[in-house]
Amino acid sequence: MYNLLLKELKLGVNPFFYFLPFITGALTLIPSWLYFFVLLYFCFITVPNLFAGYKSQNDLIFTSILPVAKTNIVKAKISVVVILELLHMVIAIIYGVISISLYPDITYYFFAPTFGFWGLCFVMLAIFNLIFYPIYYKTAYKYGVATIASIAAALLFAGGAEWLAIQNSFVHDVFKGAGADNLLLQLSILAAGIIIFALFTIIAYYMSIKRFEKVEI
Amino acid sequence: MLALDIKKLNKTYPHFQLKDVSFQLEKGYIMGFIGSNGAGKTTTIKSILNLVRVDSGEIHVFGKELTRNEIELKQEIGSAFGDTDFYTRSKIKTLTNVIKTFYRNWDDNAYYSYLKRFNLNENKKIAELSTGMKVKYRLALALSHGAKLLILDEPTSGLDPVARDQMLDIFQELVQDGEISILFSTHITSDLEKCADFITYIHNGQIVHSSEKEQFIDHYRLVNGRADQLDGVKDLLISSKSNSFGFTGLIHTSDLKSSLDLKSSIPSLEDIMVYVSKKENSYV
Repeated sequence: MYNLLLKELKLGVNPFFYFLPFITGALTLIPSWLYFFVLLYFCFITVPNLFAGYKSQNDLIFTSILPVAKTNIVKAKISVVVILELLHMVIAIIYGVISISLYPDITYYFFAPTFGFWGLCFVMLAIFNLIFYPIYYKTAYKYGVATIASIAAALLFAGGAEWLAIQNSFVHDVFKGAGADNLLLQLSILAAGIIIFALFTIIAYYMSIKRFEKVEI
Repeated sequence: MLALDIKKLNKTYPHFQLKDVSFQLEKGYIMGFIGSNGAGKTTTIKSILNLVRVDSGEIHVFGKELTRNEIELKQEIGSAFGDTDFYTRSKIKTLTNVIKTFYRNWDDNAYYSYLKRFNLNENKKIAELSTGMKVKYRLALALSHGAKLLILDEPTSGLDPVARDQMLDIFQELVQDGEISILFSTHITSDLEKCADFITYIHNGQIVHSSEKEQFIDHYRLVNGRADQLDGVKDLLISSKSNSFGFTGLIHTSDLKSSLDLKSSIPSLEDIMVYVSKKENSYV
């Protein structure tokens, strides 16, 4: 499994995608922006490019010839995306801390880059993973529909969350009102987001291996 | 000992079917797997690598059932697909460094000696290699991880005559010690006349004949006769072609009797392939 992961990191992922989080993360420095996009760029750019690369380099047959279990092939592919997602998250959070200290008195129309907000981003990526992998592993090479469906779901979640925080006084209070200064509450939301992210990704993994078993290469 | 034992393999696709494919490859020999395009060669080879799920049938490699021992057996199987490239923009060095981590018997010394022997420069990218070089690289990889069974899909297609001849020499050298067995598919029958010990011929998803090469050829005779003789022997012929001198046809040696008064000769593999496929196609 470790060698498969190294294979993905060395061959599958173009070095540019290790650098991209530093660029997209910097978008957090735009004052009062729609910060969900910081993470959505990962879904828009990295994921389709990564999987297009796998397709054009015949990765499926290359990996399948190696002496590895089919389940590990899926595990490695999901792990590498999770690593990239975490990279995007961590870097965005660091930029977020800088952003908040840069603009202390700014009016946020959308979510501020608080820890609670990053928790929501984890949930968004969790939904993305849950939709993307099971669709992708129906064929293990067609990434188009999987990308569109998972991006649509992530956008719906992001849009819904922003709308709720404007419309609903409770949600507004938690993220933008008094709750925003409650570090414990914010960190709890972040932790809950991480748990959902882990849970959904694990479910996506089990659904994917079931489908991948049936795939003919 | 059998390196490869395939029993009654069946696989149905919407427009194609493998039907009861069975054949055996003895350890230490080269088997040529022939058939026209679309006959089922690649599907069979993919089954041996467990890339497609067969509907029924069994595959044993070195006596072990394939699907239950897949990971272990893949350590001992080397494969090359003539027309499929992987990670073509990567250097040989990069690709090898990744691939070798998967094999417990990887031998670096053997690898470098094969690179040298095959004139492969490890700083070259896969895309910069000629077709022949790519096959040699796959062979170098397979041999360095101690593969005992080489499954090669059309390894000689697209090679020039010199490179092909070289490749066939390499194949023969590899099996000399009796440790390595090779199954290679091709539609270039002259390759097999040079180096195969066994021939398996597949047509329309069914094995027409599988045996030792001389026996395989001896199974058939090419016959020539006058046009007026054709009607009398037509039922005995596998198929025939008429020309201005009369006809030429293929017949099972067992059906050839001196009373038929036909000129007979030993067919080439190509003759066998052409005439047998002509017969099969006439049923369709």
